[in-house]
Amino acid sequence: MVSFIAGLLDATVQAATVLLLAGMGELISERAGVLNLGVEGMMLVGALGGFITTVVTGSHWLGFGVGILLGMVLALVHAFLCITLKSNQVISGVMLTLLGAGLTTFFGSGWVEESIDGFPQMTLPLVGQYLVDIPVIGEAFFRSTATDYLALGLLVVVWYFLHHSNLGLEMIAVGEDPEMADTMGVSVFRLRYLAVLIGGGFAGAAGAHLSLAFSQLWVPGMTAGRGWIAVALVIFAQWRPRRMLLGAYLFGLLDALRIRSQSISLTVGPDTPLAGVINPVVEFLMTPQIMGTYPYLATIIVLAYAVIRTKSDQLAVPSALLQSYSRETD
Amino acid sequence: MNVAVNVDAREDIPVWLAYGTPVFTVLAALAVSAVALVVLDVNPVAAYATMFVDTLFTEFGLTETLTKAVPLILTGLAVYLPLKAGLFNIGAEGQLVAGALAGTWIGLNVSLPGLALVPLMFVAAAVAGGIWAGIPAYLRARWDVNEIITSLLLTFVALEIQSYLLRGPMQGGTGNFPQSERFSEAATIPELFGGVHAGLLVAVCMVVVTYVLMTRTRLGFEITFVGSNDAAAQQAGMSKFYVYLLVFVVGGAFAAMGGISEIAGAQGRYRAGFEPGYGFTAIPIALLGRNSAIKVMLAGLFFAVLFVGGSSMEVAFGVPAALVEIIQALVILFLITAEFFKSYRVGIDVRRGPTETPARPQRGDD
Repeated sequence: MVSFIAGLLDATVQAATVLLLAGMGELISERAGVLNLGVEGMMLVGALGGFITTVVTGSHWLGFGVGILLGMVLALVHAFLCITLKSNQVISGVMLTLLGAGLTTFFGSGWVEESIDGFPQMTLPLVGQYLVDIPVIGEAFFRSTATDYLALGLLVVVWYFLHHSNLGLEMIAVGEDPEMADTMGVSVFRLRYLAVLIGGGFAGAAGAHLSLAFSQLWVPGMTAGRGWIAVALVIFAQWRPRRMLLGAYLFGLLDALRIRSQSISLTVGPDTPLAGVINPVVEFLMTPQIMGTYPYLATIIVLAYAVIRTKSDQLAVPSALLQSYSRETD
Repeated sequence: MNVAVNVDAREDIPVWLAYGTPVFTVLAALAVSAVALVVLDVNPVAAYATMFVDTLFTEFGLTETLTKAVPLILTGLAVYLPLKAGLFNIGAEGQLVAGALAGTWIGLNVSLPGLALVPLMFVAAAVAGGIWAGIPAYLRARWDVNEIITSLLLTFVALEIQSYLLRGPMQGGTGNFPQSERFSEAATIPELFGGVHAGLLVAVCMVVVTYVLMTRTRLGFEITFVGSNDAAAQQAGMSKFYVYLLVFVVGGAFAAMGGISEIAGAQGRYRAGFEPGYGFTAIPIALLGRNSAIKVMLAGLFFAVLFVGGSSMEVAFGVPAALVEIIQALVILFLITAEFFKSYRVGIDVRRGPTETPARPQRGDD
């Protein structure tokens, strides 16, 4: 049982990193008022670009960098369309996901057979070797890839940046009330560009982590909807970095449980009252595919609950989300 | 030297621009996608020739195109109708799957003569698709929960349920594949002409129904009114709640009919992954044809040509058919770029030397 839980936690951490990286990018972008539905496409582009670079150069760090860069390139298109041309953010985002999927399937089919030396599992310097020995959680949290640690570190950076730095607060202002921010001398366009580009970089990093650390191979469509879960995660976290950590691990745990659900038995003994009713229901709810619906259903429920039960100012959805900005005076 | 970019709203759109935009965007998308072909060492002219000539000038190509057009047109309508009311249905894929599953279940478990069974399958599909679309619609209409996210998330729920059913309760046929039992003769949609099944008739009828609804009825007027100004529409006594629910549920039913026609008409059984994401392609289709249901039909036909042409190109040149996805995305990305130039006149002023009047502040990336 202990080894099962340790294994489950290990899988949870791995699954959570991808969501955390992509989710943080989406959070920043949405906080500045730009919804980015192209995460999935940007992740795919980052995954393939990072993978090819690593195969060619042998350096997984260079691959990771290229992944980030390619995510930003796709994000630049989104920024230009949505901020400069004031196009519809939903349309642009969905089309960029389609474009990213198409491009990576088109150019990536020849790279499926390749193998790489991706990010190795490592322990933290100095204290790592002792932390790993902590029962149950040691291996899961303290023997991970460099990108797992990086994601957690970045979460602290993102939280500090958004809530305690001038630039971050200006970004939030731009997402809440662009007219007011503009009046106060904040450049709405420049900050929105910055936020969308950072968001694309995070999405690219999430993709590169997926192909270079998580699975260490490339398969077309390998993100398998994780980009959309990241979008859902931002809503689930109600646009707050700290809640995002909780959400990412919760969704990661659901993902890990799904893969391992076969080896868990939660059925009650045949003598228990109502066993005939409970057991089939439990078995149904534990089917891998049914478990796959939980992150989506949870997000819908949280979204609906938050909208229905709380006042909209408590929901924290950026007020100017989806609104393009143009100056009244020209 | 001063360079200033002026952006002024156009008062009226020139005729050449209004009609040329779709043509221009498609050509631009094809031109840019040609670069991808060149990178893979394929002659783009030869590849495009195969793509379009083999599709449009062979009997096989035309049959395939008309067959593929059925789900594409119907899902296109599923996005188009809510769009008219100002709502985004990006979950047509989930509605298609939900409907196809319900229709398939009826087709496999009810025994009736074909004349009754096939319509019953369509009704079951439409009901399931309508319910699936009804969830985001109700949440939006009643509590203002964003329908874009919920309709999309429900797509992934539907896909997981599809996978569960085809590996579990609905699994059938030889081997352990994720697919259903084969349909009986009675549950198969009859042929209309030359290998094209009667689902095409359904699609065309729905186009006509939608066209008449939007252009000739009071309800259509209300949908357009709510779509352009929901506050004013409510002032005028129209029910936003009713309109929102209606367009989404009817849209979901359209998508579902597209799903069941593809399975009972073209496939013969429900296979996991039987369709390459028609519900997502529906978004570009609806955007390209957003001015009328007839244009949605034309856009659906055009994308069907792309799908069929993409497969023949894959066979002939060994290039991945994913090029079609690239083209689709580029068409719409160019279209929204063109929308900007349609609504704004962009001029560049170049003044040499010191200027007397200060240059106008730049608009855009300021």
